[in-house]
Amino acid sequence: MISSRQRALVEFLLDNLVWIMLAIVLAVFSLTIPNYFQIGIFVNIIEQSTFVGVMAIGLAIVVIAGNMDLSIESTMALSAMITGILFASHGIGIGFTTTPAWLVLPLSLGIAVAVGAVIGALNAWLVVKVRMNAFIVTLAAFIWVRGLVVAISGGRSAQDLAPEIRFMAIEPFLYIPLIAWVAIICFVIFTFIMRKTPFGRHITMIGGNAVATFRAGIRVDRLVAISFVLAGAISGLAGWLLAIRTSGATANLGVGMLFNAFAAVVIGGVSLKGGIGQLPGVYAGVLLIYSIHTAINLMGLPAHYTQMILGGMVLAAVLLDTAKLQIRQKLA
Amino acid sequence: MTEQTPLLRLDNITRNFGAIEALRGVSFDIARGEVVALLGDNGAGKSTLVKIISGGLEASSGRMIFDGEERMFNSPAEAKAAGIETVYQDLSLCTNVDVVANFFMGREIVKRCFGIPVLQEKAMYDAVEKAITNAGTRIPSLRTNVEHLSGGQRQAIELNRFVHWGGKLVLLDEPFAALGVEQTRRGLEMIKRVAAQGIGVVVITHIMAQAFQVADRMVVIRQGKVAGDVRREDTSPDEVIRMITGEASIGRAQEKKPQLHA
Ligand SMILES: Nc1ncnc2c1ncn2[C@@H]1O[C@H](COP(=O)(O)OP(=O)(O)OP(=O)(O)O)[C@@H](O)[C@H]1O
Ligand SMILES: [Mg+2]
Repeated sequence: MISSRQRALVEFLLDNLVWIMLAIVLAVFSLTIPNYFQIGIFVNIIEQSTFVGVMAIGLAIVVIAGNMDLSIESTMALSAMITGILFASHGIGIGFTTTPAWLVLPLSLGIAVAVGAVIGALNAWLVVKVRMNAFIVTLAAFIWVRGLVVAISGGRSAQDLAPEIRFMAIEPFLYIPLIAWVAIICFVIFTFIMRKTPFGRHITMIGGNAVATFRAGIRVDRLVAISFVLAGAISGLAGWLLAIRTSGATANLGVGMLFNAFAAVVIGGVSLKGGIGQLPGVYAGVLLIYSIHTAINLMGLPAHYTQMILGGMVLAAVLLDTAKLQIRQKLA
Repeated sequence: MTEQTPLLRLDNITRNFGAIEALRGVSFDIARGEVVALLGDNGAGKSTLVKIISGGLEASSGRMIFDGEERMFNSPAEAKAAGIETVYQDLSLCTNVDVVANFFMGREIVKRCFGIPVLQEKAMYDAVEKAITNAGTRIPSLRTNVEHLSGGQRQAIELNRFVHWGGKLVLLDEPFAALGVEQTRRGLEMIKRVAAQGIGVVVITHIMAQAFQVADRMVVIRQGKVAGDVRREDTSPDEVIRMITGEASIGRAQEKKPQLHA
């Protein structure tokens, strides 16, 4: 038997393993890759992590509740495209403006989030009310929503958002562009919600044992529905940020990000069985992915090496999960 | 206990699972502060009946009068709100969170900050610590996830939980199945204490000695029907066993004419 302090320390290390891995990876890259150790490189990693990071929050919440959402990437693209069409001035953009001009910022944000929430609500309805399998429902949405993006854009793109929106991607605060701060703030807010509010506690418990939570009088269906709407709305926010970053939208915007988000969630320590996972770990997972991505770029290796490493990391993360469980059992 | 208005009256409750008739017209009363042992062989319908009372299952037909009002609970939440606490045969714990979170499942202590409910971990921890200590349960740390606790410790958490929350009626479905000798003794005392506060208790058990130790009345279910309803002092373990196996059958204790068949 070990003391409770030692146990707490081991638990802490296990909980934050992905942060430790991130620190090691950054240290190794900084020492071995020329030009890696620069503020600009680190800022770039954080900036690149914005979109997958925000999206991964919604995915993580749905997965912690014991479900699955494959639709987030397409939902993000739809929100980005609608933002582009409404507020970009070139290509298929209709360049909608407001007086005062700054009003386009909250307006475009509200529309993007609402579009995402609508897709999420549709998923929620099919899963909770129609009792369809979440994997199938959201896979279908992944396909049809991307189809919708291509349809409404006619395969063309929208360019040039108004400077009142664009500044979010350009203006830095403490070196980091504002859109990346949005992602960081989202992580802080949702970490708080998951850890310190009954909503987060109930979502976690539903993922652990839905029958027990139902018997305890928790409104399981309602909370599961909310988790899907939330994932949609957050993906809408990710789409808005992505549109700002690209100053418009293309029909294939964000393709492949779903897999990065999934990898980040798994690497970050969220169990696909539900009930287990912390949002800060997910953010560390996203940062880890883009740290490696950046290293491969800097070394001049082709991008598909990133994919191979990512695949390996996902497997390693799952193996690690099993190992962690065994260590915890020994502790108890 | 006198039988003015019963706390709970079950009137001809039936429940089918497809072709299976799990309950075929169950009627009996429970008074305030009364401990009723619900007995019967495996598959007799005891758990099904408990789930119907606690809102987890719908009855196919029949009426239920709880606390003077005709009610049927459509969800465990409704039953809970009306004051019915249940300990299920297959435990209802979330093993992925700690003891404190389980204890307060669905009833967390919160404080509103700018309208946002924030969990009060310290207050919850203290309450659980007090409840667990009072009950004499030993759990290494209230912050360990329940998955690392033994079956007996888990059952103890559920038992302490119902004692803590009280209510008007408590349903216990084989609450001692995983408990050691000492914990069982404490559990039985706990039931008596709870009943002494005027709370009605239904306890399902297969162990005759336990039933005779705590119960004021024995209700025997056999093949979905009440096969016996007798006061403890009017019966013996042997007779109850004969009711369970179908060799004897005695009607409702409160009625003058016992219905005899078998
Ligand atoms: N969900 C269900 N679907 C189909 N049949 C069921 C279901 N639940 C219970 N039954 C059936 O109803 C009958 C009564 O089951 P119940 O669980 O109430 O028995 P019990 O008296 O609690 O038995 P035990 O002492 O083994 O716990 C059994 O024949 C069982 O197979
Ligand atoms: Mg049973």
